Amino acid sequence: MRQRLIVLATLVAGTVASAILAAGAQSTTSLDRPQAVTASGTVTLSGWSVGKTEEDLVKSVVASFERKYPKIKVNYDAIPNYDEAMLAKFSARKPPDVFYLNSEKAPTWISQGLIAPLDKYISKTKFKIKPFYPRLLGAFRANGKIYGFPKDWSPLGMEINTELLAKAGGKAPTTWAQLRSLAQRLKGQMTGTAKPICISAEWQRALAFVYQNKGIVLKNGKPQFTSAAVRQGINFYVQLQKDGLADTPAKLGVGWCGEAIGKEKAAIAFEGNWAFPYLPDTFPNVKWRFYPMPKGKVRGTLAFTVSYSTSPASKNKDAAWVLISYLTGKTGMKLWTTKGLALPARSDVKINFPAPSRKPLLSEAAYAHVWLWPAGWDKVWTVANNELSAVMEGKQTVNGMLSKIQSEAQSVR
Amino acid sequence: MTVAKSRGSTLGRESVREALVGYAFVALPIASFLIFFMYPLGYAFYISYFDWGALGRIESLGLGNYREILHDDLFGHALRNTLRYAVIVVPSQMALGLALAVTVNQALRFRTFFRAAFYFPAVAGSIAITAVAAYILSSDGLLNAGISSVRGSEYHHSWFGDSGTALESIMALNIWTTSGTMMLFYLATLQSIPTDVYEAAAIDGAGSWRTFWKITFPLLKPGHFFVAVVSVIGSLQIFDQAFFVSGGSGGPNYSTMTIVLYLFNTAIDGVRFGYASAIGIVLFAMIATLTLIQRLLFGRAEVA
Repeated sequence: MRQRLIVLATLVAGTVASAILAAGAQSTTSLDRPQAVTASGTVTLSGWSVGKTEEDLVKSVVASFERKYPKIKVNYDAIPNYDEAMLAKFSARKPPDVFYLNSEKAPTWISQGLIAPLDKYISKTKFKIKPFYPRLLGAFRANGKIYGFPKDWSPLGMEINTELLAKAGGKAPTTWAQLRSLAQRLKGQMTGTAKPICISAEWQRALAFVYQNKGIVLKNGKPQFTSAAVRQGINFYVQLQKDGLADTPAKLGVGWCGEAIGKEKAAIAFEGNWAFPYLPDTFPNVKWRFYPMPKGKVRGTLAFTVSYSTSPASKNKDAAWVLISYLTGKTGMKLWTTKGLALPARSDVKINFPAPSRKPLLSEAAYAHVWLWPAGWDKVWTVANNELSAVMEGKQTVNGMLSKIQSEAQSVR
Repeated sequence: MTVAKSRGSTLGRESVREALVGYAFVALPIASFLIFFMYPLGYAFYISYFDWGALGRIESLGLGNYREILHDDLFGHALRNTLRYAVIVVPSQMALGLALAVTVNQALRFRTFFRAAFYFPAVAGSIAITAVAAYILSSDGLLNAGISSVRGSEYHHSWFGDSGTALESIMALNIWTTSGTMMLFYLATLQSIPTDVYEAAAIDGAGSWRTFWKITFPLLKPGHFFVAVVSVIGSLQIFDQAFFVSGGSGGPNYSTMTIVLYLFNTAIDGVRFGYASAIGIVLFAMIATLTLIQRLLFGRAEVA
């Protein structure tokens, strides 16, 4: 009897599901009609591993591409140890046709001829570059050419635990002074290793405060680490820790500041959209949201972006371009960003994000400086981060740190 | 005469055949050794004289890469950390390995269990062990909880996150994880010591302490040499724990920057394969020199 019931239930469920699927398929075919494109064949698409949620999303966007361009088949592959694997593939002259390019790596990879310029295709297919946020697209411009289109981006925003904020009787801070006074009020509520603010010993976070102080570390190719504006900006950041208002993830007992918010080891942190889906999935009971970064002399933050690019060694460049232009085009980007796992890099893609709101992050677009440095600067930042951690341990002075970084930056050929 | 001659030539033919069969047996491993080890090694030598990128040669630098190493502060940090690591880890590993080997070489109950238990960390993945250690050693982890309860007051030291203890914590971790392997090497040598020398010592009335220092320890010389060489090589190549603990930065305050970590960063982040190869060659030279010194130290005869 029970068995028969199960069989019946399965049959009913199956019928309903296939009806829904059929309806869905119908609606998509009417929307994404196959287009007349000469490119065909198989295109390999590679990115780093990003977890199941995000990889499933990539696969669904790829599926919609294949419906629109039935002649092109896409092999999507998420690669672990991405940089090592990609460099090996480049060396073997067998890179994927389309792949992620982190803005941080762009100058080095472009300078070594690993990335193909897209200008020929842009003009041939009249692909519009205007809708892309110029600061993000700028990360993939070099030698007057465009080497990729940003697939998404994220600035640093201010994560605040809203329950602790309410208890401190406060509004979210909008200035440096307000940030410090909120932290003072939160101090009494933090127990054990917890601190009001989590700050990393990394310039990939601290530099946002330098920008807020109108500091610029590289001006017309000349390093300016020892300038007063840079020093004051980094001083504000470091002083938060010296005054007991903030501490590093290691001292708080976590791996990174997002985890500090989740484990309530800190009430405030400066992170990006990569908090999703991690924070809501792992710590569903913690109430927090993003706010714009606090303002120093000016508003300012850091941004990180990733493009879809192709390589001169690609065997199927025409089809690769069709895929890139779809994924970074209005339709593809909307599909990709609609769940809020990533922010659109195009201003013409408007999304009603699922809660919590991403508006505070998107509002940073006009104030965001992309983390982007000349080839060879990876070493400068290794030195810079080690020096910053020494400053935070009280083993180095801010001035000592800045002159060390300055001389390292000047030695880059 | 003719008989003898023909016998000689058959013997010769036979020995040639025997040699050929021998070579046939080792041909595959030798080929793979040449292709996957000697060839890349030679190639690394070659590209260390160039500015070499992901697509190959960019420009010839002569000894430029090696000159750069001399003035490279980060390499200096890496060299100092690596040497300090080796100086502490090698003797500790040897002592612990020997102690464990002598212990499990006795007629203990559950001897097999102890042997397996001591060897276990060598089989477990180093990253997995480091990940677990990161929990235990974190600022509100198990170790600090223990210290807090002994002290009677809160103690929150971040063992991996503080430059004063980061490398030392990795040292402690590795002394433990590799001690099983060292134990195995010592155990093999221990069991090759003939029992009659012990019998002679027993007849002469030597106690166990004296027997160990006067007989076991000196007779373990080939074991000492082998363990020391393996331990030095392993220590100078320390990478994965340093990478994991610092997220690749070698921090905090350069404390976990090691030669191989710096080599890796140079190759992968900087895409400077030539410079990275030069660093590798310097490390190779260091290891080769130290191995030669050890060979002289422990004496040739005993080794052979």
